[in-house]
Amino acid sequence: MNARIIRAIVLKDLRVVRRSRALMTPLIVLPVLLMIVLPTVITFLPQLIGGAQESFAEMFNNLPDAAKAQFGEFTEASWIRLVHTQLLAPLMLLVPFMVANVIAADGFAGERERKTLEALLYTPATDAELFVAKLLAAWLPAIAIAFGGAAIYAVIVNITAWPVMGRVFFPNPTWLVMVLWMAPAFAALGLAGMLLVSLRVRGMQEATQLGGLFVLPVIALVVGEVRGAVLLGPWMSIVIGLIVWAIAGAMLLYGVKRFKRTTLVAKL
Amino acid sequence: MTTALPNDRAPAIALDRVVHKYGETVALRELTLTVEHGEVFSLLGHNGAGKTTTVRIVNGLLAPASGAVSVFGLSPLADGAQVRRRTAVLTESPTLDERLTARETLWAFAAMYDVPAATIRGRTESLLEEFGIADRGSDRVGGFSRGMKQRLALARALIHDPDLLFLDEPTAGLDPAATQQLHNTVREMSRARGRTVVLCTHNLVEAQALSDRVAVLGEGRLLALGTPSELARRIAPRLEVSIEVDPAQKDAALRAIGSDNGLSVVAERGGVVRVIGVVRDAVPALAARLVGAGIALYRLDPHEPSLTDAYFALQQGRHRERADGGGP
Repeated sequence: MNARIIRAIVLKDLRVVRRSRALMTPLIVLPVLLMIVLPTVITFLPQLIGGAQESFAEMFNNLPDAAKAQFGEFTEASWIRLVHTQLLAPLMLLVPFMVANVIAADGFAGERERKTLEALLYTPATDAELFVAKLLAAWLPAIAIAFGGAAIYAVIVNITAWPVMGRVFFPNPTWLVMVLWMAPAFAALGLAGMLLVSLRVRGMQEATQLGGLFVLPVIALVVGEVRGAVLLGPWMSIVIGLIVWAIAGAMLLYGVKRFKRTTLVAKL
Repeated sequence: MTTALPNDRAPAIALDRVVHKYGETVALRELTLTVEHGEVFSLLGHNGAGKTTTVRIVNGLLAPASGAVSVFGLSPLADGAQVRRRTAVLTESPTLDERLTARETLWAFAAMYDVPAATIRGRTESLLEEFGIADRGSDRVGGFSRGMKQRLALARALIHDPDLLFLDEPTAGLDPAATQQLHNTVREMSRARGRTVVLCTHNLVEAQALSDRVAVLGEGRLLALGTPSELARRIAPRLEVSIEVDPAQKDAALRAIGSDNGLSVVAERGGVVRVIGVVRDAVPALAARLVGAGIALYRLDPHEPSLTDAYFALQQGRHRERADGGGP
């Protein structure tokens, strides 16, 4: 593997993404929404909709026993702990997933649609180097945004919740596992899904529509948490992360076998 | 993994009975040809003749169904990276990323071709200068004209100083000055620096002007191979002769030439007569006949057949073959 070639392709792809308003808009809006706006609003939700305290109390009563034991009765403090360490946590996985998904769509299907792929195929980059470069170009920014966003999220939560909590309470172990272990796994899932789709379709729009379907596991996790069907703890997060890594790994392995110049050129 | 060593005594390109199919469609039919070091070699043919397929096979982008391919003695499939390090392809459409600037494009591809880091900036600036886009080097390619994009694509192809350069319809979209510059670049690469250039083109005048040898492809088959003048003589052996006589003797000259010998005779203005379809060996007899008839012969100018004449003669031959039930 020639690291210099890989680096050149990664930097080129990132430059191209950075200059596309159509790509950068969701890449900025989604993290800002999920990692800045949402935690701020949600912290103050009980105060914002005063008079709905009974609804919140009822929501706490409906929590599974394990959650009840963990969070107790409804108070402003238990609300803050519940939403930030539990309910919103899986939403954070959307960010690395979407970032990887969008950049991979541009790097695989988009490059083909813009007819710039042929020039890359004529370079000395081997099929493996091209594959790795395309993966890193999508995965690295996804991880960087996920980690950076998580850090900002933690700061915002601690600042906005300070009047109630009176201490730094966040992040907790589950959250750390989610960010450090599950987020990279979901980023890998997002780009592996897009890779497989891109190998079959010609256009970026088609790829984005089909590749987006791989977001369903994240949505299922969020719904499961909100409905109380899933209560993510550190160990369960490790296990789910492991499963997602395994699925993404299998998909990438399948993809690398099909990522051949001789196959790609047929779709030019 | 072992690295194959290039053999610089081997031809730049050697194709031996190469067959390629797209599904049921046969794109190349037992194509055999060699391109020597330092040659300017043209691949001619209509759309779908197999030119682009050949370029892709030679660069390891397509695997032939059968036959052998070597580039500097290397296999494009097994040693693809090594082969492509020494080749460059200017594709028919410029295939440039419109969101990058011209400089960024050259820097990126220089790194991909492993150009030493210390020389990248100098090489980039000299190519931008050479192709007249230095003042737009920091502009995004999306704002470039078609001609500027083509020049940038050529600069990109030359960034690593390739030993073997493929130019696919290189002058499409270029203005006359840029076309002239490209022709000079091709000549300079070949004559002064011993590089090999393969030109895929519909432009027969360009091919005749630049090429040492020409291969004419038709439906994936090699129809003819040789120098432009060899091909012209072999495939279109009859000449067009321009004759100038005393205008007062023009009618007598037309009678002397006669029209019962398969020649087409066209009377032009003044004393000029054009005779079409003259066999090379019959030119002296034609001159003798005119002089013998007492015609004052001022000028007799046989025009060599061009590559264009040869190309169309070949294609007409193919059409006739097909009409007669022969050929693919």
